[in-house]
Amino acid sequence: MIIKGGYFMKVLHVDLTECKTHVEEVDEEFALKYIGGRGWGARLVWENMKEDTDPLSPENIIVIAPGPLSGLYLPSSGKTSFCSISPTTGIYGDSNIGGMFGVELRQAGFDAVVIKGKAPELSYLWIDDDDIQLKSAEKYAGMGSIETEHLLREDIGDETVKVASIGPAGEKLARMACITADWGRNAGRTGMGAVLGSKNLKAIAIRGTKDLPVADLPRLTLASNKAYKKLSRHNLFEFWQRQGLMSVIDYANTAGIIPTHNFKDTHFEEAEKINGDVMELEYKIGDTACFGCPMACGNVNLVKDGKYAGTVIEGPEYETAAMFGSNVGISDFSAILRANYLCDEYGIDTITAGSLISVMIEAYEKDLVTLEELDGMALTWGDDESIMEMIRKIAFREGVGDTLAEGAYGVIKRWPQLAPIINHVKGLDQSAYDARVAMTMALGYATSDIGAHHARAWPIAKELEMGANWDLNDKADLVIYHQTVRPLFDMLGVCRLPWIELGFDENTYAEFYSATVGIEFTLEELLKLSNDVYNLTRAINIRLGLVRSDDRPPDRVFNDPIKTGPHAGKVLNRDEFREILDIYYQRRGWDIDGIPTDETLKASDLEDAIEYMVQRKAK
Amino acid sequence: MRKKLTVIPERCSGCRVCELVCSISHAGVNNPKKANIRVISLYPHPVIKMPIVCEQCKKPKCRDACPTDAIVVTDGVVTILEDRCVSCHACVGACPIGAIFVHEDIETPFKCDMCSGKPKCAAACPKKAILYVPEHTLGQAHRLASALQYANMQEVEYYEHGVKKKLRYAEIETGGTRGDYK
Repeated sequence: MIIKGGYFMKVLHVDLTECKTHVEEVDEEFALKYIGGRGWGARLVWENMKEDTDPLSPENIIVIAPGPLSGLYLPSSGKTSFCSISPTTGIYGDSNIGGMFGVELRQAGFDAVVIKGKAPELSYLWIDDDDIQLKSAEKYAGMGSIETEHLLREDIGDETVKVASIGPAGEKLARMACITADWGRNAGRTGMGAVLGSKNLKAIAIRGTKDLPVADLPRLTLASNKAYKKLSRHNLFEFWQRQGLMSVIDYANTAGIIPTHNFKDTHFEEAEKINGDVMELEYKIGDTACFGCPMACGNVNLVKDGKYAGTVIEGPEYETAAMFGSNVGISDFSAILRANYLCDEYGIDTITAGSLISVMIEAYEKDLVTLEELDGMALTWGDDESIMEMIRKIAFREGVGDTLAEGAYGVIKRWPQLAPIINHVKGLDQSAYDARVAMTMALGYATSDIGAHHARAWPIAKELEMGANWDLNDKADLVIYHQTVRPLFDMLGVCRLPWIELGFDENTYAEFYSATVGIEFTLEELLKLSNDVYNLTRAINIRLGLVRSDDRPPDRVFNDPIKTGPHAGKVLNRDEFREILDIYYQRRGWDIDGIPTDETLKASDLEDAIEYMVQRKAK
Repeated sequence: MRKKLTVIPERCSGCRVCELVCSISHAGVNNPKKANIRVISLYPHPVIKMPIVCEQCKKPKCRDACPTDAIVVTDGVVTILEDRCVSCHACVGACPIGAIFVHEDIETPFKCDMCSGKPKCAAACPKKAILYVPEHTLGQAHRLASALQYANMQEVEYYEHGVKKKLRYAEIETGGTRGDYK
């Protein structure tokens, strides 16, 4: 064995159809090549998939993978990835979760769990160290995520058990259903909750007690002591603890990139009513952090009076506050908290739900849908009560909610006239940063391997800082750099926020990983492995039928100039986008159709993908 | 001057860095379940996160409960003598705050030893929720709360650089408002 730590070298396989589990010993080459988290997940999805795997069929697998650094003494080591073929997009999907869930899984002695099949009845998986049981969850049917978590703990009889669960939306296979753990930490995107729902798996409860293996603990401790000290001395550290990602509202509004009225505009007049200061001064009752994280970006908020009094929720962070604030025209922070609570409890992604609801408001405004089609709800901007009702309808698939629960593709199928106003890429609704002001952001959304999400690339701040006029080659390189660094965090099982928000040196992660596994790695070597995984997820998507024309930002980016704010009149040029996409493909080593070339796949040790790419090219 | 560990649950974010540094320095492994301190997180009714750590009672109930006199107080630190301990766990149940821990890999129960006067948890806590303070300052927070509660607190809202802020001040009243003045 050359690996001396970081891994238990064990994957737990659960076949729900057969009600069987077995533990697989992982080989070293696999462990090191794919690192963990999203890397392991992508590889396992690749090995299991077929060209026609239906995301909601028992054949699809879902991989739950923390990383080799998850649970260790180093900043923000609480991340876990959920990887599968996405019911939202039909291509590769992953979403990660903070909190404590993955740490507990690792303490139970597993590096990952792979779930396939479909349980005969609604069930939950109970991992108590080596004791693994599949138990009936009929009792929790239809229950919200937060309530499920609470009751499961009570029934197991241990308040410290960690739980990930789905709400009614997941059970009803809403394609934007999320997985919730630690009372409101969500693997929100790409519909991972619907995958669990399709498997009749309501929840996973874990309790683990094992030592996490570390090759050189004194070396890791030394590096981490320095890291924590460095972060705590950053001039924004305390502000970050106070407001977390809510501070982005002011930044995004001032910078003119905040989604407003379904991305029609990028500047919200009433932003100061929904910003971090309002949260901190009027609603915040406590801080929450993920495992090992000094930054504590989570905020617990309570509505103390008004019609939503009593609503208590961890959140919102920026995306939720923007998607259920400016983007639907809500300027009452307590209503945003209520929407956040409902989404968490029902188990739906706040970004997709906020986006699709804003689409319906705009559609009604423009007479693109009838009042009957909206079940008689005359939707208007800022109408919080109708918006809450829409959230409920999506979760329970009632009336118009049944269509919205099918995601962007489902909405377009029923109402093709709405295609130009739905801001999505590959079926995944765009997150809360407008792309019209930055070609890099548009390219990042367009080429993200899971659809329009900022997790892969968030170059918008850099482009705004530098001004838009710089070389397209450099812009493409910036996007590729982001798409290489950011997923690396998801592979290691740590959070990227210390790096992106508090300027933490990414080279430190090579030191953490080297000390943990007992093998020397440089950041460049790790980035190469991350890039290889990007080629792998591309290969998965090509196998699933992705073509060049899918790599395009939402139409609004080209067609609909920004109306107000610092970027009024701004819109992106379609020809320029084509040009940068060509450059991007070429720099990635993909052909003109976006298919990785043989040389690229060989350089990424993905020889087994070549034959599939050849098949696609033939079509 | 004798110092004590004290916690301020309202500040705690539940990040468990205290458990990590404790388990590494005491058990020599990265395992929060082997730490001498634990964070309990409750949600949503009530929302509270609280590090649980030995308060080094001067008349410890754990010592009283120990059938083999394995628990002694040395220089203000309550210590379990492993060679005398029979691991009956009577102390675990006797501790009023649950600050004595058990793990199947470890033969005897374990608890905080205050790191020989330099507690690592207090030094590492990113939220300053664990404090290492002179013993005579214990209760200060409650004394402060008492004073604030006694005073008739008023709130005034104002703007500073465009940011809304709140200032609290005491309205001075004539005579006392507490029953014992009347």
